[in-house]
Amino acid sequence: MRWWCLLMIVMPLFGPISASAGESQVYKGEQTLFEDTVWSGDILIDGILTVATGTTLEIRPGSRVRFTRFDSNGDGIGEHEIFSQGTIRVLGTEDDPVLFTSAEETPRPGDWGAINMMVSEEENLLGHCIVEYGYRGFHAHFSRAKLLNSTFRKNMRGAQFQESQVVIDGCRFLDNNNGVQFRDSKVTLQGSTISGSHWGLRCVYSDLEMTACVIENNLVNGVNIRDGKIHARGNRIVGNRRGLYLQRSEGRVVSNDLSGNSEHGIFLEDSNGEVIDNRLIGNGRAGVRWLNSKGRLTRNMITDNGVYGLINDGTSAVDARSNWWGTAKSGDIDASIRDGLDRPELGLVDSRDALVQSLPFNLLETP
Amino acid sequence: MDMMLTRWKIMFISVAINLAAISLSPSLYASDMELQASVTVPEYQGAYSGELLWEGIVTMAGDVLILEGGTLTVRAGTQINIVPAEGTKIDPEYLSSQTELLIRGKLDIQGTPDLPVRFVIVETSATEEIAWSGIALDKAAESRIRYVELERADIAVRCVTSSPEIKGNRIANCRYGIVAQQKSHPKILENILLDGEGGIFCWRGSNPYLLNNQITGHDEEAVFVDETSRPWLEHNMISGNTIGLALYPRDLPFDPESVTDNSENVRWLGRQGQVGVE
Repeated sequence: MRWWCLLMIVMPLFGPISASAGESQVYKGEQTLFEDTVWSGDILIDGILTVATGTTLEIRPGSRVRFTRFDSNGDGIGEHEIFSQGTIRVLGTEDDPVLFTSAEETPRPGDWGAINMMVSEEENLLGHCIVEYGYRGFHAHFSRAKLLNSTFRKNMRGAQFQESQVVIDGCRFLDNNNGVQFRDSKVTLQGSTISGSHWGLRCVYSDLEMTACVIENNLVNGVNIRDGKIHARGNRIVGNRRGLYLQRSEGRVVSNDLSGNSEHGIFLEDSNGEVIDNRLIGNGRAGVRWLNSKGRLTRNMITDNGVYGLINDGTSAVDARSNWWGTAKSGDIDASIRDGLDRPELGLVDSRDALVQSLPFNLLETP
Repeated sequence: MDMMLTRWKIMFISVAINLAAISLSPSLYASDMELQASVTVPEYQGAYSGELLWEGIVTMAGDVLILEGGTLTVRAGTQINIVPAEGTKIDPEYLSSQTELLIRGKLDIQGTPDLPVRFVIVETSATEEIAWSGIALDKAAESRIRYVELERADIAVRCVTSSPEIKGNRIANCRYGIVAQQKSHPKILENILLDGEGGIFCWRGSNPYLLNNQITGHDEEAVFVDETSRPWLEHNMISGNTIGLALYPRDLPFDPESVTDNSENVRWLGRQGQVGVE
């Protein structure tokens, strides 16, 4: 076959079907970008668009990227998406964000797949964008990315990634079925909000640095760390079913507001925690539930919780010295703690040196 | 030739004896069970739209999701085998890493007192005490759960902005029995809940109707009501729990004679352990 015949056959794979001014650029079927590409205006993805290794897709402020719904197996999940092995740089601005959304008249979560990255190790950027009605708004494996000042709303899951390094700063994850989930990843989360999901943030085998975030009104756990590490400082984790739940994890939890959750402000299970200078107020069942964990609980405000201030459900002792329990009366402090004095099979709680008044609480500036 | 005839005779007599044994023996039921076991049990996992009917014996080999607009009907007498999940994975459309029955459409479980619907855990050496997630209704259509036998779930029935009828069920050894959250108003009628961590939880503006339930043997609270919820409590028998009623609302009507013989019958919440009448 002559080379130009081959070129005529392959050419449609490289570019949009139509791209005239004022109209949508349309990518139909399975197409691949092999050259650096810049988008602006309206783009319609009616298939799966791959960004090849070594290729950069840049999306300019004010662009609107829509995805058609295609559910081949009737599982309620649309499959059209962007699949990148190159680099994606979304350059929205505060005044002109980039919108990723469904092309359906009546959109719903899961209409389209994801902004999907696989082994995309250059620095990907999603800046000032709105991502809505996807299955996973942002999804990555073995990738590096920054999500900055963006909103992920009404997706099945706002963001999900594995084996990746991700910085999330100034983002809002609102009303997704589940908020943010990751495993085997290193994550910095700051100045961000996760609200209105079943799970707020859930991670496994990961290392999370979380600062000045708001995690609120999630119906399962606000923040769930399993077999991982967290350093949480200055966050508001309020109004969830459980606030912060550490399972087989290490946590340094300092100066957070862990209040008004339906069950527990913080729950440590088989974990190692330094829980210092936090507000644990008005949680439904207990401010703190401590189950076979190590560490210490000190200089916290633990008041006005539902059934107990602190429950020790494990057999080991708990170091809970120097906390404010809402009272200076030792009998009342004892009553706010359930431990081996109430159930002989449980370990004791050391609540000596109780504070006689609450300490000033300075939360970092949250969104 | 004679030899051949003899063989045929032996086979004929043998089959006749077997048939006679099956028709006359009291072990007829066992034979039927063996026959059923030899038939392939239908397996379900994944998302379903439209009408789905379960009867006889079925297996939930993994998570089952009934999509908005879909219906799952479960006939009286059905046995649902639950295969516990391994691993920590939760796909975005689900709620738990454990095996779950998640309803975003309609659920109609039609058990009767004589023919209950049974959820049976398929045990392995790795099966944990809490072996599956349970039934969750998430913004579900009008549903009913009648005469179910269910055990060892994380939450036996979780209602999120859903108001099913939950009647005549036996819920045992679950972490939580029934959770109503996010403006759920289920009718909880004539159920037996026993030996879990907690019984019935009313959270975030949920107002269930609790009638003629027996709630007993829980390690923590039998009935928990947060500040924003107002269940209606009528003729329930709440005994043998650590705390009978754990209540934020101080003015919630209840019959003290139905809350007896708990380690602590009523705990007013918000005072972290300071027992006493307001």
